[in-house]
Amino acid sequence: MSDKWKKSEELIRLYQAVGKAALTYDIEDSHSGNIATRLKDEKGQDRMAITATGSQKGDLEPDQICLPAIDRADFGYYKASSETDIHAKILSLPGVSASMHGHNKELTIATLDDLDKPAQPESFVPIDPLGWRYLKGEVPVDWFAVPSGSPEMTEKIPARLKDHPVTSIQGHGAFAKGRNIQEAFFLLCIANNSGYIVNLCRKLKVDIEKLRKLIQENPAEYFSHPLPDYQVEGDQAADFADDEELAKEFRKAGARIFESRLSPFYTGSISLRGVRTMFYAPKAAMPRELGGPLLELLLSDDGKDRELAIHRAIYAESDFQTIMHCYIPEAEALSHFIAPGERGLPERMVPVDAEGSFLYLVIPILPPKFELGELIRLLHDYKVVIVRGGGVWAVGAQSVSEALHHPSSVREICLYRIGAFERGLDLSKMEPKKAKKW
Amino acid sequence: MTDISGFGYHGKILEIDLSSGRVANKELDPRMAADYLGGRGLASKLFFDSVDPQCDPLGPDNVMVIATSPLLGTNAPTACRGHLVFKSPLTGIIGSSNSGGSWAAVFKATGYDALVIKGKAKEPVVVEVRPDKVEIVPARELWGLNVPETTDRLSEGKPGRKILCIGPAGENRVRFAAVMNDKNRAYGRSGPGAVWGSKNLKAVVVSGKEKIAVQDQERYQSGLDQAQYLLRQAPITKRLLKELGTAGLIKLIAIIDMLPRKNFQDVTHSEEDLDRVSGEALRDKILDKAGACFRCPLACQRHTQVGGKKGEGPEYETMIMMGPQCGIYDLEAIAKANYLCNELGMDTMSLGGTIACAMELFEKGALNKDDTGGMELRFGNAAVLEKLAEMIAFRKGIGDQLAEGSLRMAKFYEQPELSMSVKGLEIPAYDPRSSFTQALGYMTSPTGACHLRGGYAVSLAFFGGAREIPRFSLQQAAVAVRNLQNLGILQDSLGICRFTGFAFSTDPWARMASGATGLDFSTKKLDQIANRIASLERIFNLAAGATAEDDTLPERFSKEPIIVGGKERVVSKETMERMRSDYYEARGWDGQGRPKGETIAALFGTKVPGTDRMK
Repeated sequence: MSDKWKKSEELIRLYQAVGKAALTYDIEDSHSGNIATRLKDEKGQDRMAITATGSQKGDLEPDQICLPAIDRADFGYYKASSETDIHAKILSLPGVSASMHGHNKELTIATLDDLDKPAQPESFVPIDPLGWRYLKGEVPVDWFAVPSGSPEMTEKIPARLKDHPVTSIQGHGAFAKGRNIQEAFFLLCIANNSGYIVNLCRKLKVDIEKLRKLIQENPAEYFSHPLPDYQVEGDQAADFADDEELAKEFRKAGARIFESRLSPFYTGSISLRGVRTMFYAPKAAMPRELGGPLLELLLSDDGKDRELAIHRAIYAESDFQTIMHCYIPEAEALSHFIAPGERGLPERMVPVDAEGSFLYLVIPILPPKFELGELIRLLHDYKVVIVRGGGVWAVGAQSVSEALHHPSSVREICLYRIGAFERGLDLSKMEPKKAKKW
Repeated sequence: MTDISGFGYHGKILEIDLSSGRVANKELDPRMAADYLGGRGLASKLFFDSVDPQCDPLGPDNVMVIATSPLLGTNAPTACRGHLVFKSPLTGIIGSSNSGGSWAAVFKATGYDALVIKGKAKEPVVVEVRPDKVEIVPARELWGLNVPETTDRLSEGKPGRKILCIGPAGENRVRFAAVMNDKNRAYGRSGPGAVWGSKNLKAVVVSGKEKIAVQDQERYQSGLDQAQYLLRQAPITKRLLKELGTAGLIKLIAIIDMLPRKNFQDVTHSEEDLDRVSGEALRDKILDKAGACFRCPLACQRHTQVGGKKGEGPEYETMIMMGPQCGIYDLEAIAKANYLCNELGMDTMSLGGTIACAMELFEKGALNKDDTGGMELRFGNAAVLEKLAEMIAFRKGIGDQLAEGSLRMAKFYEQPELSMSVKGLEIPAYDPRSSFTQALGYMTSPTGACHLRGGYAVSLAFFGGAREIPRFSLQQAAVAVRNLQNLGILQDSLGICRFTGFAFSTDPWARMASGATGLDFSTKKLDQIANRIASLERIFNLAAGATAEDDTLPERFSKEPIIVGGKERVVSKETMERMRSDYYEARGWDGQGRPKGETIAALFGTKVPGTDRMK
């Protein structure tokens, strides 16, 4: 038996984990999409590992990961994805080691049009901070007569990905490139999340075109702090693995953030204050099977990472033990929502559901360029704060779970407000009177 | 500073010097109210400002402060509690005790926020406080009466009067004597009853109808609505406490291998044994009716009857400390001994812990029948409970030694390691080997091993809901305990019940307290207040002679493992040292547990008297 069909356990586990996570995040359906990486065989020859055609990404078997040659046909192609040619060309781009294709429903919905075909669709412009930063402000969208595995796609998609992290096929899905599989998956999730936010904003009658224009003119004004480059190194860091129970708490919370869509894959952050150090997950939304980096860092440090600096500043000015930062798409959309009868952008959100209105009379909304002191003051009073263009910050006095409870509730509260508005209900009547003056 | 009187506070402090008979009305400094809130905080500050930390706890120089909070007099749920602060005759450090019932609410209605008692009366006296008059009345005829007798005599024919008094145990200066109200509700821990006895103070009788107003009704109401909703939602506050009382916790605590047995020798109980002393057994066998403290929707009081006698309890702590801790699983015997303790005015936790220690001393041969007057002081001998309670209260025979508390007694019999106490205060009925936060809470509680002043850590370990934390995370323990202790300080300072913490934290209280007073009691401010109170208590203790060495657990917990979740668990010396050092750091204290200069500056602004005497 040739070694060509032998894959390392590590590779199999990684494919299975990403496949499951993609299904969980709903950027794949039962059989859709494919995952590909470039690797070298024992002879040093370039080869690729790609999922088999028709394989279920949520339940990948080891023999559903194929290892065809990257530059010619060999027997590996018989079983491999129908889009193997496209991936092979993407993997040949400089600096690219992985590519992934997903059925990103939200992005796909956001980029549909009813023009007569053939026609060139407009590019997708994200309006959220993650999309703007990591999709580099634009996702090209192309229409294909044969929109699955066609030679036209093999030409066009790798070309698009030369200059863009993600490209979209109208009515079908998207392709992303990455330095590793996690990065490609991350980009597909970000793209879908951006599509979802645009779709929500449309439902909420937000003037998206105006917003897009304003963002394109001056993006710094519309988003919170600059987001760091995506890091492909260090995902396995486990600085506090010896405190098994604490590490477990982080992993549980990370999985919940990801699975409950409180933040897209590997976004957001979680921290817990120790005494001299803090315990930190810089990629908070961590699928169970993949995990993510768990770091122990000094509580006081002048590092340049703005995200970390906010955690440290909150700890310096409070007794909170835990902090969580998530990019809840529903909260981002509602932060742009001007309710009927209101004039300006909202400064707070009032829950209209029964539990939300008792747990949180109001949830403050800060502008993108907020004062840190104001965020900390609001966290003392409300425990959770939405930042337009900057995610949702939450704190806990004791546990990671306590902090997690807030974004989880906020998402639910947002869904009820959006749902009520969609149904044409009068939100102002539904908001508790006492909250209006609070 | 704005005038605070009328909104949350009356703005008045009553000061009584029993030596001279002088009675003085003093203004409550609004800044003190803003900085120390009320209850425990206010009492600690008034105490700190008026006592010599080196004083003899049973001498005339000790000071007893009783304070209420700005929420008493409003309709805030559970806001009925008073707080006593004094130098403890059991521990030699700060004594801090809290009780529900109805006395504190009526004291507030006399028009005062706090009562400061100094000196020593020449003969037994009763202090009577009414809005228009304060009197120190000779009460020789009451000396010797037990708590119900005293209460009945003082309230007979005078409806509306509420009685706070001691029984014979306080008169005889049993070091863990309690001060009782509503006959059965105890300011129990640390021996306040002995301090009253040493001052010849038998009772404080209050009556009045003075009211306070709420400054910002809307703000207050928003907190109240939320609090009421959450209390009705959380399983423990809506159902468990109501239906089973605090003893309903027994099986829960046993399940997590935290329920101690035989002076903390292990946490192993048979199902049959537990069934005899559980909250369910209490309900099925001896419950007469449930009851509630003033303004409390939780209704955890258990009014019971055994052998034709009626009384209250036993509560969780009493049931375990006088039961399984002594190897006893006899509900009726425990209930009867508990009734007697309430009548005689004693802390059932310290009493149970001291008897358990004596039993172990007896079984190890350090005590014999000659010492006990022929009594077989063995684990499981339920027959000795009532007899010993009586002997302790009246300091008869071996009772005189037990009345000193377990540490002094064990030292007397040259086996101090058998006293399961921290700083001389007997450890409550949660085994510290089952949770690092529980262990650290006992180690660093300002009053010695108190589950409430040390942070109600068991709620973190098992039923804290979203706030539950890992039981054996070293990294998380220090800050979690500090924060939980701070929550307890605030609950004690707000005059509200610890059990509300099962439903919510400080947020609704912050709105209620701010709304009631018009002062800024935002959660950030409340955190600062809690830190200030914690450091003030620490400064007092250091000035009274406590050191970092005292912040530790008895050797048993580091050397003798128990089985928790199938694993052997101890709290090793290294773990204790690491947690203690982390905790000091989290509090802004130095390596010896002394508040650092910058901490003092941040919390107090100026130099605090007494810091120069910190050891």
